Amino acid sequence: MRSFSAIPLFAAACAALFCGCGSPARRIDPTTQGVTTIDDVNTRDWNDVSARAVNSLIASGALVRPDGRKAIVMINQVKDKSGARAKTQILTNKMRQALLASGKALTTTAVGGNGPEDNATRQIRELENDDLFNQATVQKRGTVISPDLSLSGEIINQDTQSGRTVENTFYFHVVMTDLHTGLAVWEDNFEISKQETLNIFGY
Amino acid sequence: MRKQCFITAVAALLLGAGLAGCQDTVNTVENRDLSMNPDSVDTRKFNTDSFCRDRLALLSMRRSMTPGGVMMVQAQIRSERYGFWSELWSGFRGDNPYHVLYRFDWMDEHGMAVPTAANAWQPAIFIPGEVKFLQGVAPNSRCKDFVLSVIEDPSI
Repeated sequence: MRSFSAIPLFAAACAALFCGCGSPARRIDPTTQGVTTIDDVNTRDWNDVSARAVNSLIASGALVRPDGRKAIVMINQVKDKSGARAKTQILTNKMRQALLASGKALTTTAVGGNGPEDNATRQIRELENDDLFNQATVQKRGTVISPDLSLSGEIINQDTQSGRTVENTFYFHVVMTDLHTGLAVWEDNFEISKQETLNIFGY
Repeated sequence: MRKQCFITAVAALLLGAGLAGCQDTVNTVENRDLSMNPDSVDTRKFNTDSFCRDRLALLSMRRSMTPGGVMMVQAQIRSERYGFWSELWSGFRGDNPYHVLYRFDWMDEHGMAVPTAANAWQPAIFIPGEVKFLQGVAPNSRCKDFVLSVIEDPSI
């Protein structure tokens, strides 16, 4: 009579039980509880880079104009050359909100790197030919303010592997250009480096 | 029996010395006669984490104004996790380097917090003995009061 061991069966049942357990959806604080992955720019990374970029820009004084009026900033493209399919609008949206909060600058939505943020500025002026509207209330041409500065940048990454250790570094480069002269009045670089050790199965 | 205990104690001590000695700590050199004239800020602390409190020492808190008239503060912080027992313990726990998150919150003249993208928790990594300068910039010129929060990084 072959002896029957219940241990493998018990071990398999335990493994199935633990692997199958999940947890219900819950809200988290992304900066302290967010997931960190090596191949992507995570929420924590965006928050970190945004904070550093905003601090650097405001501390530089690049937004201060000699005539005292607020600088008009256009949000241009932040190019993603990292291959991580990074949502660069996360960075630009946070920076534009901080620019407005600084009281030193205003952002324009009439022009942008990917086209106007809000098409309404142009669309509304097409009503000048529409007799349905009171022409005295229709916005006139020649009144939109052109930007003084342009915010742009790029994200690139460098990955490397040594044995089972994988390392990926994202480099964020952000520039503020004076549109009158074409000169960069502020720029800064931020690095996010991540490292992980793969298990013996290679993942 | 006594010989066995002695050998065990010596082996444990050597292991500990090895673990502690393998950690690279930071030595610093600075000019003795300082020419800077910093504007120091008096601070008051509220500690809830004695581990974090004991591992990081606030050496100075200074402020300055940016060209745009906005206040900037700088906390000079040193990791106190050096010395035989600290290095031994951090070697066992794998706490070297020491990962923390910090955040500056700013209040306007009415005491209302002004939230911006710069309010986010930012990471700082301390090698034992390292001095880091954590800087925060006020979101606008109305903000003159701040709170610096520091927490051990829960994801590490």
